Amino acid sequence: MAINGNTIFLIFVILYIIFSSPGGNGVTSQYEYNQMESMIDQLNNEYGSFQNMSYNTNFRNITGFKLSYNDVRNNPLINATYPLDSKNYDQWYNNDKYLIMPDEVRDMISDNVWNMSADANGKANLFPPIITGSLLGNIKLDTNSKYQKVRMPMANFYDPPRDFSDNFPLPGESYNDAWEDLGEVHNVTFPKGKLTIQLSHIDKVSTSLMSKTKKFYNSQEKEWKLLSVRLDFMDKDEVEKHSVDTLGVYDIKNGRILAMSESGKFHSLFAFPHYLGIGINKSKKESVFEQSKKLINEYWNTSNYIDTLTMGDIGEQYNNAVEKCEFMIFLQLDPWNQYTKDQMKMIDDELKWPLGRPANLSSLPPINVRSGLVYSPDCGVSLTTSNVKGERYELKIRSVRFHLFAGMLLIATQIYLLLRQMQHTNTPSSVNKISYYTFFMINAVDGIIMILYLIFSSVVRELYLSLIISAFMTFILAVVFETRYLVSVYASQVNEQGVGIITLLRGRNTFDDNAAERPVVIPDEASISSSLHGRLSFILIVMTFILISSTSWPRHPRTVFEYTFVFLANSYWIPQVFRNAVKGIPSRRERMRGENARGPRQNKAPLLWKFIIGTTIIRVLPIVYFFTNSSNVFRHHKDKRFVVILCLWLLFQLAVLYSQDILGSRWFLAQNTIPEGYSYYKQVSLALLKEHGDVQESEDVASEQVPEDHHTHMQTSVDCAICMSEVPVNVEELPETHNIDIHSYMVTPCDHIFHSTCLQNWMNYKLQCPVCRAPLPPS
Amino acid sequence: MSSKRISKELRDIERDPPTSCSAGPVGDDLYHWQASIMGPPDSPYAGGVFFLTIHFPTDYPFKPPKIAFTTKIYHPNINANGNICLDILKDQWSPALTLSKVLLSICSLLTDANPDDPLVPEIANIYKTDRPKYEATAREWTKKYAV
Repeated sequence: MAINGNTIFLIFVILYIIFSSPGGNGVTSQYEYNQMESMIDQLNNEYGSFQNMSYNTNFRNITGFKLSYNDVRNNPLINATYPLDSKNYDQWYNNDKYLIMPDEVRDMISDNVWNMSADANGKANLFPPIITGSLLGNIKLDTNSKYQKVRMPMANFYDPPRDFSDNFPLPGESYNDAWEDLGEVHNVTFPKGKLTIQLSHIDKVSTSLMSKTKKFYNSQEKEWKLLSVRLDFMDKDEVEKHSVDTLGVYDIKNGRILAMSESGKFHSLFAFPHYLGIGINKSKKESVFEQSKKLINEYWNTSNYIDTLTMGDIGEQYNNAVEKCEFMIFLQLDPWNQYTKDQMKMIDDELKWPLGRPANLSSLPPINVRSGLVYSPDCGVSLTTSNVKGERYELKIRSVRFHLFAGMLLIATQIYLLLRQMQHTNTPSSVNKISYYTFFMINAVDGIIMILYLIFSSVVRELYLSLIISAFMTFILAVVFETRYLVSVYASQVNEQGVGIITLLRGRNTFDDNAAERPVVIPDEASISSSLHGRLSFILIVMTFILISSTSWPRHPRTVFEYTFVFLANSYWIPQVFRNAVKGIPSRRERMRGENARGPRQNKAPLLWKFIIGTTIIRVLPIVYFFTNSSNVFRHHKDKRFVVILCLWLLFQLAVLYSQDILGSRWFLAQNTIPEGYSYYKQVSLALLKEHGDVQESEDVASEQVPEDHHTHMQTSVDCAICMSEVPVNVEELPETHNIDIHSYMVTPCDHIFHSTCLQNWMNYKLQCPVCRAPLPPS
Repeated sequence: MSSKRISKELRDIERDPPTSCSAGPVGDDLYHWQASIMGPPDSPYAGGVFFLTIHFPTDYPFKPPKIAFTTKIYHPNINANGNICLDILKDQWSPALTLSKVLLSICSLLTDANPDDPLVPEIANIYKTDRPKYEATAREWTKKYAV
């Protein structure tokens, strides 16, 4: 391609867009620039006072910690301005004069949560150094009304601009009682619920907005680690949901985790050292304070906290402040005292780089939260956790990978069975007996699975390869083979469109009555295929969206939706049962008899039994697994009753199919209600011959009313338009033709006559009359 | 079966040749024919004689014969290789069609081109927008290649 003026212009436009887009921090206006400057100023200010803080001095101007619980108790409407006259800033004790929690909560933390003492033999407890994973458990509300709400103002510069001409954010700060009331979002109202904690380590941080490289920062890795802790809790019916993203500090020596949410009204980063001191021996308080302060300092400096702030951070801090409670999460892990330090290191190495070390990963204990407390200072809510545990993330990934591999085997088997089925029905007349909707349902489910694989492959990096291979195999199955088969099924049934089911049942004897309504020109497969692909992908996208959004619905509607969907998606043999009935496939015995008379090609059952049984098993196996095995990877709830009902439903469908195979496909319909299907093999009348045949002689004879014996010389044949030779026909009115086998020729519904072999051959290509292009019913 | 039908068609064409067309096998091969079409008098191809090659597939008449012009011709539905864009030679084929019917269809295609389903879009464009120019070029080509 030669580069002309237009191309160069386009390149310049693209380059301009790339280089003129906002810099890494996303500041696009004067207002945002000033917002950013104010935030940096404030954070720098607070960091300065954090650096001057020691284990026995109070918080000074740190957002969210300017008031203590006692201040609020004495005056619930006190303004959080620094410095407060009555406050002593050069002292620190772990009581509610200094903490933002009442002594009652502090006592619960030090007595019931962070109370791990050395084990019976006096040996220090050992905790796993890496605790990535997602833990599940229960949560219970202790109180949401007993405690005072600690007032936490937010600086006004966090607010988004009020209009476009706004260049400077408002000075000062505002209190949450002036904000919009968001009801239960600012409270926890259920007594009991479910809890998910996702733990991951922050081992490396990027040092600037533009660079992709990440740096280690932690010099005390053996004792302290920074975590990203995501907490989701909701009531049993999943109507009220809370989710908090927090930064956490893991005290490996004591197995303690403290995580605090961060927002425009709660700069919790600077509060870790003091609050980690709760429940700690007086002698160790100072070292705990200094070590955790060092951790925060290293994190702050290496990540260039100030320089890597973006507009996105400001927006997030604003939203979190306005829409959520602040939460402080106190967790105590169970020790892994059965392992030594070296063994633990080997386990971690093996999980990271599996080389087959003797680590015995299958018996690895779960990450177990022995006790936990979640406290919200600004909402006055206190919750306790129980029974929270989960396996290591790497173990989970391994097990998902194994499941994906099993899934691939199932898909491969399904591809093989489908290919055999396609071989079995390789002509339009045999494909015509297949139900379009049966394969449509099967295809839709496979398509959705393919899309889900693709979506997850971009989300779960560790499983990218397995998911992409699975997606590719499902693509081959769904898009290449199943859709291809659907196209040929659809093409063979195009001429049935607009025909009522009763007419179809009758084999369209009333063909000519409404011939004008149906298209005489059958569209070719290419156009069918493109329209079908369009329709399928549209349905696919809509279904995938519904499916994905359904995962966030409350429990009750979600379960109803799931059960209905699974049940409907597993009713795929029902359309085939109807199709069989419409097409009137004779019983197996009759088919065997017919086989000898008319050659093996005719009247075979449309679906291979191998395919029917195989497909059913392949499709029901994953469902059975997920509904009966509670330790499965998706943590699907157990419901044996549903599985049994589903299996019975599938068995019922199979039984009906089998009975149709044995007894004939219309056995459940009363014999007299449905006339025979259209038969190509029949005697013809002289009138028909006259109209459609090319038989001058017989016409002469018939019109002249010749004597009986003259008939022997009559020409009673027509030309077959396919081979252009004569077809001897059995004419009703002429007894001497009655020895001609009516199976040697075929009469179409449009009254054209062909040799049986000629028309059968043509019907393998197209179900269309060669002479008048009228649609043909399959034989 | 196909050879029987082809020889029947040959006999029919010899007995009752279609007007302005002729066709017959090349040498001994019954599956390879040659045909000629006289340019229809009411078309810009008048006076020209156009030659075509015909290959019958072994599953004839269930598959259409392959027909191509060997004489160069300026036409929206016929390209430089002589390939013809005609529905009955593709998906609208029917075994009841015969070679003489197909040749007649090609004759009528010469008279009435189908510019809405063109094989050569440039010619179709001229055909639709500047009919005299198309006719002049077609006449010129006919004089140059087909006389």
